[in-house]
Amino acid sequence: MLSRDNFVRVQEFVWEIPPTFRDDMRVPARLYADEELLNTALTDNSITQLVNTSTLPGIIQYAVAMPDIHQGYGFPIGGVVATRLPHGVISPGGVGYDINCGVRLLISQATVEEVHPFLQEIASALFANCPSGVGAHGPLHLSDAELDEVLHEGSRSMLKRGYAEKEDLDHTEESGRIPGADSAYVSEHAHERGRRQLGSLGAGNHFIEVDRIAEVYDQAIAARLNICQDNIAVQIHCGSRGLGHQICEDYVSRFQQSVHDYGITLPDRELVSVPFDSDEGQEYFRAMACAANFAFANRQLLAHLIRQSFEQVLAGKIRNFCLQQVYDIAHNMAKIEEHEIGGHRLRLCVHRKGATRAFGPGSTVLPEDLRDIGQPVLIPGSMGTASYVLTGTTGAMQQTFGSTCHGAGRLMSRAKAKKVVRGEDLRHQLKNRGIVVRAGSMSGLAEEAPTAYKDVSRVVEVVHQAGIAKKIARLEPIAVVKG
Amino acid sequence: MSSQHKFKTLGSEEVEHTADRAFRVRGRNLAELLENAARTLVALDGEPSAGESVVRREIEIEGHDRETLLVNWLNEILYLEQTHHEFYDHFLLGNVTGNRLRAQLEGRRLEHSVTSIKAVTFHNLQIKETPDGLEATIVVDV
Repeated sequence: MLSRDNFVRVQEFVWEIPPTFRDDMRVPARLYADEELLNTALTDNSITQLVNTSTLPGIIQYAVAMPDIHQGYGFPIGGVVATRLPHGVISPGGVGYDINCGVRLLISQATVEEVHPFLQEIASALFANCPSGVGAHGPLHLSDAELDEVLHEGSRSMLKRGYAEKEDLDHTEESGRIPGADSAYVSEHAHERGRRQLGSLGAGNHFIEVDRIAEVYDQAIAARLNICQDNIAVQIHCGSRGLGHQICEDYVSRFQQSVHDYGITLPDRELVSVPFDSDEGQEYFRAMACAANFAFANRQLLAHLIRQSFEQVLAGKIRNFCLQQVYDIAHNMAKIEEHEIGGHRLRLCVHRKGATRAFGPGSTVLPEDLRDIGQPVLIPGSMGTASYVLTGTTGAMQQTFGSTCHGAGRLMSRAKAKKVVRGEDLRHQLKNRGIVVRAGSMSGLAEEAPTAYKDVSRVVEVVHQAGIAKKIARLEPIAVVKG
Repeated sequence: MSSQHKFKTLGSEEVEHTADRAFRVRGRNLAELLENAARTLVALDGEPSAGESVVRREIEIEGHDRETLLVNWLNEILYLEQTHHEFYDHFLLGNVTGNRLRAQLEGRRLEHSVTSIKAVTFHNLQIKETPDGLEATIVVDV
């Protein structure tokens, strides 16, 4: 059993388990946390899962975990692993089932005061127009050719159909399209699951939230992102739906054999991986890119449905309700990136499982208008609590392969949350705090209760203080739509 | 019947998991373990109160070992439930030979899919021999 004694404190907010801890570790395992978050991380199996990821062939420097770490399957949620290409491995279980689950932030110049009288109507319109639930269908029924276009082109396919503005794509990670996608490596089952699900929210912790900009920490950068105190913002949190789940299932199942073929021994079957440059590795990467593109297109279509909902309710009543995109980020993905390690520029496969890319100022992959301030990082809190906008930093490039945290991080199991919280009571509590809720299921609402999560402000403070992201603004919810 | 009550009748139990859900399932042999795992999986969400017409589906599943067969079998049930908006409550397994099975699923068609489960994982999965037969702990992504 792991304890605090197994950690060495290497910086104020960085704790390390040396590779001598277990024979199969190839590199150290690092955790970003303060004292309290470290103690919390030791209450479930998340640190063991972090140590397990340090055994992946080709891993470089260290396995990293963010302060929102919690127990997942295979990787811990909040884990970052970079493997050196071409021979380092890619792990489908490391990316997880909801490939390119991510967050999009839209911002309006309308104020809370202007929008508040219409909030109930807005929440109802969002709930009616944005389908939710695990198997829910979206507004489009795509033919095979149309689905393949989404898988190959991502957000570009939505621009072509009139569901996006060009600026949306400019302010999306990878411009909303991962190169290398090839639907020939996506199974018929995955196609079938994706055909009807584009433009749907899903369930679990996925949501649409209307927020108030509650506090601005960096006026200059906030102004560049059009973020003004007391204005309205909208967050979308969802991913690649059943199509992504199926692609992960297909390759994790297939790699149960492949891992033996490559002589790879791992401590957990969910970590199965193959060399990136192998036929199997390339096939998974091309299929994963399809799911990532589907997720970008999904959030884009949802953004369109949200803009329509705002127009439906607010047109002719207030001005300036248009929603402009701040950014869209992924937090479950394996990306091919170049990083400077030990004075050398290396090509890496960076797995982020419940972690966000946080590229700092000067990064050439950022659009010109963001290059001098760094990439916007969007950190949603738990339902009813604050969310944060941050930017990527040079510190993240130097310390964490350009990565930071992705949310609050769960503290309590879903079963326990449902035992201690009644969905209806929670809805009343949120209502008393002025938060409008529309939810598909009361038990689903209880599972996502704020008490089931860590304090997001504490998590964000750690990444800010550790220099792996910079706080820009805090958002407070005023309406929540959940599957 | 509540999920917990149904788990007891199946000899299954839900296991604590921070982010997702997990359950332990048992069977006197592999066929019974597979059947109990399917019944426990669909019981995690509780039984839907309504549904039209009886539906039957026949499926064949294989895997390169017993654990892969178990995961592929459960994921196929989720796939069918979610794509066809159906709920299955009867699982009739034919002979389980080698790492292959044939089964008939029976259930109802629903207006909306009711499952909250995204996928069945291989996390620390091992089918263990016990004095009474077989046992496995399965983690599902929600």
